[in-house]
Order: sequence, then structure tokens, then C-alpha cells
Amino acid sequence: MRGPGLSLAAAALVLLAGCRERGEPPAAPDDLPPAVTVPFAPPPFTLRRLQASQYRRAVEALLGPEAAAAVTPPEDAAINGFKAIGNAQLSISTATALRYESSAFAAADAALATASQRAWLVGCEPSDACMRSFVARFGRRAFRRSLTDEEASAWTAAGADAALALNDFYGGAGAVVAGMLQSPDFLYLVEVGAPDPERPGRWALTGPELAARMAFFLTGGPPSDRLLDAAEAGELGTDEGRRRWAWRLALSGGARAALREFWGEHLGLDALSTLAKDPAAFPDFSPALAADMREETLAFADDVVWDEDLDARELLRARFTFASAALSDLYGVERPAGGFGRVPLPAGGMRAGLLGQAGFLALRAHEAQTSPTRRGLFVRERLLCEPVSQPPAQVGAMLPPPEGAVTMRERLAVHRADPVCAGCHGMMDDIGLGLESFDGLGRFRTLDQGVEIDPASELDGRAFAGAAELGELLAEDPRVMRCLQRNLFRAAVGHVETPGEAAPMFEMEEAFAASGYRLRALLVEMAASDAFRSGAPPEVTP
Amino acid sequence: MSPGRTFRLSRRDVLRGAGALVALPALEAMLGTDGTAYADGTPLPLRFGVFFFGNGVIKSRWVPAEVGAAWSLSEELAPLLNVKDYLNVSSGREIKVADLRGHHNGAAAILSATPFIPLPPNGAPYSSKFGGPSIDQVAADLIGGTTTIKSLQLAVSKRPEKEQGPTVQFISHRGPDSPLEPEVSPASLFTRLFGGGLAADPRTRVRLNALDAVREDARRLQQRLGAADRARLDAHLTAISEVRREILSSAPAGTGACVLPAAVTETNADVNGVEPLQAVSRAMSDLWALAWACDLTRVVSFQHHGATSSTVFASEGQTAAEHLLTHDSATQDQVHDAVVVTMRNGGYLLEKLRATPEGAGNLLDRSCVLITSDVCEGLYHSGTDYPIVVAGRAGGALRYPGVHDRATASENTSDVLLSCLQAVGTGLASVGGGSAASATPCAGILT
Repeated sequence: MRGPGLSLAAAALVLLAGCRERGEPPAAPDDLPPAVTVPFAPPPFTLRRLQASQYRRAVEALLGPEAAAAVTPPEDAAINGFKAIGNAQLSISTATALRYESSAFAAADAALATASQRAWLVGCEPSDACMRSFVARFGRRAFRRSLTDEEASAWTAAGADAALALNDFYGGAGAVVAGMLQSPDFLYLVEVGAPDPERPGRWALTGPELAARMAFFLTGGPPSDRLLDAAEAGELGTDEGRRRWAWRLALSGGARAALREFWGEHLGLDALSTLAKDPAAFPDFSPALAADMREETLAFADDVVWDEDLDARELLRARFTFASAALSDLYGVERPAGGFGRVPLPAGGMRAGLLGQAGFLALRAHEAQTSPTRRGLFVRERLLCEPVSQPPAQVGAMLPPPEGAVTMRERLAVHRADPVCAGCHGMMDDIGLGLESFDGLGRFRTLDQGVEIDPASELDGRAFAGAAELGELLAEDPRVMRCLQRNLFRAAVGHVETPGEAAPMFEMEEAFAASGYRLRALLVEMAASDAFRSGAPPEVTP
Repeated sequence: MSPGRTFRLSRRDVLRGAGALVALPALEAMLGTDGTAYADGTPLPLRFGVFFFGNGVIKSRWVPAEVGAAWSLSEELAPLLNVKDYLNVSSGREIKVADLRGHHNGAAAILSATPFIPLPPNGAPYSSKFGGPSIDQVAADLIGGTTTIKSLQLAVSKRPEKEQGPTVQFISHRGPDSPLEPEVSPASLFTRLFGGGLAADPRTRVRLNALDAVREDARRLQQRLGAADRARLDAHLTAISEVRREILSSAPAGTGACVLPAAVTETNADVNGVEPLQAVSRAMSDLWALAWACDLTRVVSFQHHGATSSTVFASEGQTAAEHLLTHDSATQDQVHDAVVVTMRNGGYLLEKLRATPEGAGNLLDRSCVLITSDVCEGLYHSGTDYPIVVAGRAGGALRYPGVHDRATASENTSDVLLSCLQAVGTGLASVGGGSAASATPCAGILT
């Protein structure tokens, strides 16, 4: 039988191969089947360990800034582009557990260092009843749900025992804190779910579980007491209630920081902290400049999404950016007042949007030169969601060392001439060659090796020259906003979207378009969607 | 006193009795008179280590010219001059994992003898996982069980590839979903090895009680989960048990070389964007030797720099990541320089192990250290004529003085892994799985 599942597999294979004849349009505009053909069938829920940034935010919410400054959570490993996916699949090691252990005690010590901190955190005069009420209150916030009687008794006993051992009530409270911060109920988003009361036969997150997923996605931190109260009272059990809370969270203080985490991973900005450049080629480069590049892109995205609520396609074509004095000099634009701020980019110039920013142009380059291939690969993989195959074995032998000074376009001509290379490299190099007017640091230039640069190139048969025109093409390309949406979803739920989720993905896409591509509207749609709260029933039911 | 087979000093006792570089006189008494076993007749332990470096070598400058017993060091092996007798060089072998992805195939083959698991991207960036445990973990399960730390993972460069999944980011894996995070800070490692608590300290009791309460939580949670999540929580529970063991640990009597160093302060922080590779590699090597001398662990993996990492060898005047250098035919001399620096650091480690006495010999006499990479030559992503050095005598199981064993028919690199595992007394008859599995040890390097 040849059902939609089969043709889907075939489409996936075509995309996995990832390469095609030059100029040929994309094989399939989308690798998910048309929404109507596949019934909604989400994958099962999994435990997802908090990411380091989420752990820090949770400690801050529970214990205050002193404790958050004292913690040293382990670094997370990404899979398929996101730590959220790695943390939904990988187990922890002894070294990781040790790190959590020392971090938990450091947090507890920092949180209980002064009398006023102790009063704020514990909130009652030392007594058995006080320990019990502290456990119930702190435990509910730490585990993001009310404790069972059994749990409350166990942790109260642990606190009392520690208080006895240390001869100090607050030492006992600290032991509860340090213990709960090591508990899987704190360290993981525990998502077990229950039969969905709204849709018989389906399985969905419980109210508190959904509250936690929404809060970590939209604010980067745990749910507030009010959200937990609302969830336990069933407010997230309706579409309207979910939407109302999603808007509230998306407009709350943590939302910017949470989305910054996403950009850091999705655009690869985290790699700027270890970027290396050849000082002979780029004497202006320094780790401080790399930090400016990161802040530029993040501040720019903040402005588009939060301050002005612009069409997200402006990310690709906006004629302004944010810059430090050093970055302004690199771009050849006037320095902003106050050291760092918004600067206009000249109309009609080649620089606009994310692809005109150094955080892309310098990061996707070699240490002394540009790399049209790496720039093109980024656009294919990260902006278009089109993976490119790896080079064939023995590929190194095909690139002879350059003899004398040759331009990058000349060097890459071998990719074009050799049919073994052309299929994949055409996909990448064509994009990058259109950005050759920006050097390996992102500075505008007209010459490469003394030869005038011809930035005329094409994206899938459509002509462009420079970042501004490429940005315009990408802004008009439906693949780009769909790809952004997919990536946000992956980071939000900790898995790559599956064929069974095609229908809600399609609905989200429609809603995103209907909003005029407002990213905050997409965040809310996503958090309120069926795909966000539903899972397959577990094979072992409780 | 613990009911263990040897007298044990608590780590705190060791610390109390030892200032910087003070040996513990009582420990010598624990050895038998012939210096090959403890006084109660238990043989001295055998140990296994992996010294891994990313992105391969320059084959023409790595492979020794002569084959057999009368071989001389190549340019890239020259830094190992002072321990040459302890080296068995294997060449001419091939990894038996299909080239679905460069670096991934080599890392999986040479570290686990098992093909890796590609994670289909569906439009997401490519990633992969190991298909089975890495051989250091196979060894740890069989020879590491009685020590405080079942196995230790160390790394020098903090620039591993982080965008392609666990296969290339980590070298030690319990299984596909359990890569093992390495220690990158010698100062933290020092604390882990020698900063243990004292049983009588109320703080220790509090730490243990907290872990017990956590364990109860985990067990309650287990009952609510499906099979896959239960397995992950099992791994978490195992980690908690091992943390417990480390908190309670004490340093067993090994040899007179179990000596407390002055506190280690190197934290592996970048200096102006440059990694202190040599200083960290040496500090880690010192602690590795000490961890073995004190029998805190018997299995160590050491990632000098990772596969496709962005490590820069600034000491050689380089500014580009070594992985990028490997892919440019014009910069192969710089790749060579990086290999030489790496082997110099490897030489420091091996010399340190040889200089650490144990019984009648030294640590290298009773250990096997596998030195290898994720690719033969980075420029070609080649998996043939693979670079492998097996260092140490493993209690007499490995040839000494060592030989250059050259395979003639592209035999499986996994044969060498099996030889290592057999040499350190695991009793295994085969290693790995799928196309890369081996049941035929490389006889040429075994006695």
C-alpha cells in the first residue's frame, strides 16, 4: 500500500541527499506532507533536563540573585542544533551529578548567608511546623507542582535530620534546598501527561506540566506561583486560557532573555566567544569585538521582536542595526551616541539585515579570508532548513593549493567545474559568492587580491548581489519563515518535528502569516497549540 | 577500617599527613616483598587509558619507515623518544565503519569498534550518536569496579565540535544516549580526587542524606515513566550512587608514589582568547598519574583536542583552528606542527607514568594507553592506514621493547582495540558491533 507515510519517506530521502543540479529549484518545498493527509499523531513525552540557562533562572526565581551567581551547572550538549533536543535524549554522567551536587550546596549557602535572606526564604520562626511549611512551599516552587504527602514527609524528615546533625535549623533548611535542587523533579521538566479531558482518546500535559513547559519556553524560567495556581485551578484547560497566559508570559520580563538563548543557538552566536582570526589579516579583531558582534545581533533581534514588534522578515532586510563604536567603524557608519545603540544603514547599500551583520559574516568565514561555502551553508541549513550532504571521501585531493594570489571566486571555480562537487557546492557557493563584498570580518570591500569583486550571484535561479538583495529574496521566500518556525518549535519542545505533527505545524504557519509575521504572535500560537501540549500515550500508563 | 581487601587511609588522613610532595611512609609497607603484588598476594592492578587527539596526522610523517622490532621514530612520533621501548605502533589498518560522515566514522570505529547512529535531520542540522559504549567504558566495567572512581574523563582543549552531536563532541560514552562529560579544569579535578569529605564531618552526613532523599524522589518518579525515560533515570540513579561513593571515598594504599601535590590552581581559563594547552595537558597528566598511583581509578580517557574541534595551536604561531588547517592543502605543515605539539604533550604523560614507581616497576609497566585520532589524514577524511600507538607493557602482555606492526591487507583497527582490552585483563574474546566488530586480536603487539 502506498500511503502518505511512504511518499513522505521518499521525500525525506531526496532531502537527505541534500544536493541537486545547479539552478534547479528545490526538489520539494516542504518535507512535511500536506496537513490534511496525516492525522495528528504527536510523539511521546520525554523527560527533558533543564538547560544551564534555565537552571540558573530557576535558581534565581527560587533563591534570589546571590544563589544564581553561585551555581555552576554542567554544560549541555546539543543534538540536531539544540540543547533542548540533547537534553531530551541524553543521560547524565557521574561528573555531571557531581557538578549538580556542588552547585546545589553553593546555591543553598549563598541563599541563606544572611539573617534577612533566611527570613525571606524560610518565612517562619524555627520549629518543626516551620520546617514542614517551608518544605511544602519551597517544594512546590522547586518541583513546579504541589508535593504529595509522602514527598512532604520525606523532605521534612531530611531537613530535620540535617538540622540535628548541624545543630542549626537553617542548616536543615539549606539541606532541603540543596537536596531538592538535585532532585529529578527539579532538574527535569517532568512531562508524563494524562488523558486529555478536552479530546477523549488523546494524551496531554497536565496543567502544572503545561505551565512549566510554557514558562520555560516563553520566559526561560519556571512558572510563577500565580501561574501554578492558575494551572492547578484548570485555567490552562481551555484554548482561551492557554492563550491568555501565553500572552502574559510572552510580554513578561524573561521573554527577551529566553528568545536571546534561542538566537544564540539557532544563529550559532555562541561560537563567537571562541572565534579566532588571523591578526595579520585583521589587526582590528579582538575578543571584545566578537562580543560586540554577538550583542549587535541580539539587540537587533530584540528591537525587531520586542521594541517595535516588526514583521519578522525585517530580520533579513532591515536598513538599521545596533553597533558599538568599533563595529560602526567596521561598517563605515556613524558611531551611535552612548557607545552602543541603533545605527541606520545607508539605503541602496549592500548591507541590511542579519546577513549584513558581522556575527554572520565574520563567524562564517576563515581566519584570514572569507568562506562563501560556509556562508552559503549557514543560509541553507539554518535559514532554509535544507541540510547539505557531507563532502565525499578523499575530497581533499581535489583542491590543489593555490598558485600565487587568486580571488576567492577563482579558487572556488574548481567546485563549479567538477561535477562531483558542483551539486552541493552550487547550493552553498552561489549564495556566498554574492556576499564577497564583505571581507572575513564583515567590512565592505570592492577588491579581492587587487581584483575588483563581482558580487552578482543567484539563489535558486533568482539573481542578487550583496546582503541586502539576498535578504529581500529570502524575506519573500516562504521557506524562510517556515524554517524559523520549525526551529523555534524544536527548541520549545525538545524534538525535531515529526510527520504526525504536520497539521498543527501548518496551523501555526497560517497564524504566523496572518499576524503579519509577528514573532511574538508565533510564540503565543506555539505555546497555545495542540502540538505543544499533546503527546502519544506512554506504553506504560500510571 | 573498611572491609576492603587492603588497608585504606581516608583521603582526609592523607591530606592531614601530607604537605606538598610528601610521600606517605606507611604505604610502602603494603607491598609484598617482590614488588609485583600487595602483601596479601593480590596482584597490582592493570590499567587502561585513551589519549585521543582530533583531526589526524600527516601520514608520511607519522608512519615509521621500518617495520618490525628494528624501527625508528618518525618525525611526528619523535617526541615520544624517551619512552620508545614502551611503544607498539600499529599501521596499515582500516576503520570498518562506512563513510557516512567524515570524523564521525573514525571516532566511532576507533573508540567503540561500532558504527555510529546517524540522527536523521528532517531539515535540522546533522548529528550522530555512538552506537555502543566506548572501549574505555567496556574496560571500566571489567577492571574498574573496585576503585572510588570507576573511570575518569579528562579534556584539555575546551573547543570541541558542539554542533554535530555526541559522536564528535565526546570520546567516552556509556552507550548511545550517555556521553560522558570530561573534566576540563585541573583545579576541579584536584578537588574531585583529593577533596573528599570525612565520614565524621556533619556536613558529609548532610550531603549523603540529601542524596538519599533525591534517590527516593527518583524512585517515586520511576513508577510514572515509560521505558525510555526509566532507562535515563536509571543512569541518573547510578550517577548518584557513584557520587555517594566519591563522597565516602578514601585513598587506598598503592605505592609510595601516592603523593599529595601542592593544591592545583590551573583552571584552564583562556588568556587573551588563547587556550593554555600545554600547561593544562601537563597538569592533567600529573593528576592522571597520581590518580593511578593512588588507585583512585584504573581507567582514564583524555581528549587532547576533539574531532573537528576549533582548537588553535597558538604556541606554534597559528591563528586558524587546526581542523580548518587540515582541509587546506596549503597548510599541511601547520597540521604537522600541531601533531608534533600534541605528541609532545602525549610524551609528557607517558614519561610521567613511567617515572611513577609502582612495586618493582612503574605505572607504564602495568598499563596500556591507546593513542589515536578520528581520522588518518584530515585533508582526505581517510580511514585507511590509521594512526595508532599502543603504549605500556600491561603487566607483560604487550611487546617490550615495542614493535612497528604493519598490517598488509587493511585489517580492522578494532583488532588493536581488542588487543588492548585483552592486555589489561578484561578476558574479552571480542569487541564492538556491526561492521566494525572484532574477535581477532592484533597478535603482533601481544607477547
